[in-house]
Amino acid sequence: MKKVVDVSLPVGPIHPCFKEPARIKCETAGERVLSTEVELGYVKKGIEKIMVGRPWQEVIFLAERVCGICSVVHNTAIVETIEKISGISVPRRAAILRIILNELDRIQSHLLANYSYCYTIEHETLAMYLLNLRETAMDAIESVSGTRVMSAYVVPGGVREDISDETVKSIVSAMDKIEKELKRFVKMFESGPLIALRSKGIGVLSHEDAAASGVVGPTARACGLERDARKDDELYKELGWHMITRTESDNFARIMLRFDELFQSVNLVRNAAAALEPGKIRNGAVITAGHAVHTVEAPRGDLTYDLELDEFGQVVRVAIQTPSIPNVEVASHAMMKNLTSAADVTSVFISSDPCIACAER
Amino acid sequence: MSLIQSVKNSVRKRSIHVCYVNTGSCNGCDIEILACLAPKYDIEQYGIYVHNNPREADVILITGGMSPQWIDKLPDLWDRVPEPKAVVTIGNCPVSGCVFNRPGKLIDPPVSKYIPVTASVPGCPPSPAEIISAILGAAGELFKDYEIKNKEAQK
Repeated sequence: MKKVVDVSLPVGPIHPCFKEPARIKCETAGERVLSTEVELGYVKKGIEKIMVGRPWQEVIFLAERVCGICSVVHNTAIVETIEKISGISVPRRAAILRIILNELDRIQSHLLANYSYCYTIEHETLAMYLLNLRETAMDAIESVSGTRVMSAYVVPGGVREDISDETVKSIVSAMDKIEKELKRFVKMFESGPLIALRSKGIGVLSHEDAAASGVVGPTARACGLERDARKDDELYKELGWHMITRTESDNFARIMLRFDELFQSVNLVRNAAAALEPGKIRNGAVITAGHAVHTVEAPRGDLTYDLELDEFGQVVRVAIQTPSIPNVEVASHAMMKNLTSAADVTSVFISSDPCIACAER
Repeated sequence: MSLIQSVKNSVRKRSIHVCYVNTGSCNGCDIEILACLAPKYDIEQYGIYVHNNPREADVILITGGMSPQWIDKLPDLWDRVPEPKAVVTIGNCPVSGCVFNRPGKLIDPPVSKYIPVTASVPGCPPSPAEIISAILGAAGELFKDYEIKNKEAQK
């Protein structure tokens, strides 16, 4: 049967709403968008291929540069994979410091994702509020690790450097500020009638599609799927982590779920700061040969490293599965289908928080 | 200098439209450019507007070390930018390829092989303050008396 298509509308690769180059091909009939296809490949760097044959010291820095937004979690993931291979234990203080930095990273990443969405639906005021709030989280990251992005803070056996009690206090006060401001912005987002028109009931990902497709992260949790790699982590449970899900599974639910997780991350950082006890921050480590698969929860979903090292600590084989790969596919095949307006294509795509650099590596 | 030229000079100093093109970076530099938009740094108080549309841009910011997909597309995009125009590269990747320039690489740095580059901001990634000062420094000098310079170049 011949398809009834008026115009094949390309969006991208350079587009005012996209942080990164991606091309979305939309098949439209009038204003209605029948189906879409996401074309990637603009930022392919071949990181996994470069990693092979390199010593683990270099691979840590390469892994960090898979994604600039969630660089901390890539650093943590590869170091924890190396620790799993070599059987290295981590002191309690270092493990808590890792959680503090990871949750700060999640705060800035979720704020950036919600900024992008508000900017895409042309609510620039709220977007700028959120982007300014993100700077508070970035300053907290800088006070812990020394840099804003690409900190290389996590090393095998612990963390690179300790933080002082004053830094802990300043982080806790930054968390108080974020929580106070965020409550106001969430209220603005929840009660805005124009935001609701652009968000509620748009880009619905049905529970069946979500369960069948292997979608991860906030996009999955907004459809009621309980998928989170942190649920197996004892230390996270001790610090008061619990699963957050929503059931509406539209754009509004995905953004609101990120807001809910922001409040949870703020509480986790506070609890972690309270649980900090004086002690060692780094154990000695000897890297041995072996193979391990390790999954951690990145801001966008499950991040899996499949790593094989030889006896000299060089990488024999590595595969990285980043959360954006399933999320981009689901966004194009299940969410951006039968949209009533072509203007919703970008906002639905951004609401799944795609990270193209992650997806292509 | 004619009156219209001095008007053009003073207007161009306060109205720089920027488009950023990610030619294979890791996002690190891109979010530092985005952070410039935040009210804390407030890039618009200097008259720099990020539109991300090459057809109305004055300054193109390039992040990333030329992935194979961009090799034919970047010169095309450069042709579409109206005169006067300039390129500022952000980060180490457009200069040297940074950590991605290893045996078995896919990227092909430097970017200056494909389009003329006016200024470079090194760093992995550079801080937002450095990015703002680089755009202001490069664009101010380049767009001053552009018509006069252009006429002399054609002689």
